[in-house]
Amino acid sequence: MSQEHLSMELLLAVRDGERSEPEQVAAHAHVASCEACRSELDRLHQRTAMLRALPTLTPARSAFPAVQRQMADDLRHRWQRRFAIGGLAAAAALAIAVVGNDLAHPAELDASEQLETAMTRSEVLERALNAWRPETRAMDAHTAEIVIELEDRIADVDGRLERARRLAEQVELWQERVGLMSALVDVHLTKATNVGL
Amino acid sequence: MTNDQRLLCDPPPLPGIFITEMTRTLTTVAMQLADADAVVSRAQRGDPVALEKLYRAYAPATYNLARRICRTTEDAEDVLQETFYEVCRSIRNYRGEGSIWSWIRTVASSKALMRLRRNKYRDTDELNDELAPARHASPALRLDLEAALDRLSPTARAVVWLHDVEGFTHEEIANQMGKSVSFSKSQLARAHQRLRLWLDGGVA
Repeated sequence: MSQEHLSMELLLAVRDGERSEPEQVAAHAHVASCEACRSELDRLHQRTAMLRALPTLTPARSAFPAVQRQMADDLRHRWQRRFAIGGLAAAAALAIAVVGNDLAHPAELDASEQLETAMTRSEVLERALNAWRPETRAMDAHTAEIVIELEDRIADVDGRLERARRLAEQVELWQERVGLMSALVDVHLTKATNVGL
Repeated sequence: MTNDQRLLCDPPPLPGIFITEMTRTLTTVAMQLADADAVVSRAQRGDPVALEKLYRAYAPATYNLARRICRTTEDAEDVLQETFYEVCRSIRNYRGEGSIWSWIRTVASSKALMRLRRNKYRDTDELNDELAPARHASPALRLDLEAALDRLSPTARAVVWLHDVEGFTHEEIANQMGKSVSFSKSQLARAHQRLRLWLDGGVA
């Protein structure tokens, strides 16, 4: 060490006061006895000071308005998500209210009124689901399985509805459809509330 | 550490012009908010005036860091915007460990290094290349420090700036770059060899 001059890496270690390696400890001792290395170390110190003394470069324009726009966009998207979840929840609540009313007074509705009510409820739920656009939402495998099962059962009901001729049968199928649609809305609503999507 | 040993690590006296420049620069970089805690606390509650105050206080130093690391002013401006967007979004997560500037500076260096990596793939430029494409006529020509710094490879320039000027440790730099500590150390040593050659005419 005493015959050879220090490498830049060791000079940097001396400059930074590093002593964790034996080589670095020896480098400190070497600098004390070697004028050339001491001179290199001085140059290194000066260069570092010059780097720190470079003028501060400033931006030509403020970036803050752009940051504010990004923040406003974020906020808008968050609100849109909240309103979308709120819309889905409102549709579910509306359908439940109608179901509740029907169940409380089943005898007061004749078959055609029951059919009309079931079709209205189904439409309310379907509109809410379409607006929610579930196909654009990420979901885990378990939720996806439940959704597929419910959608298959709804498609099956739709197939049977096309063939149903009797009013009583149509009422029964539309009410089954409303039940399945409600379950589907519940699945999406639970996921949206828990995950925030 | 003995006094003799301390002397070896301490910088030698500098010419007056350096002292003046250093004072000016350090004053700018260290332009801390006098009421930083109160401003941060308000910013954490979403106060837009406090967020703007943070921006005004730390944007110059943030931009300077970004500009010294990035190749273009456009990249540096993007890093500035990305940094403060992140600061505004995540200020609630700042727990007061270290100064607010240390926290912002870490966000900024991370964004700047990310930009370097992105440009590396775009330009098919090696991250650990020896030199950036020569922009000066002769390597033997004595360069001023700005030009010499500009001539270093993007990685070497980033390591020099982050370590020697911003005060990041090699561990922090290695962590941010996804490299080893010895990589950071060897990049710093190579960078200083180059600067030594270009500025003082020594042997690289």
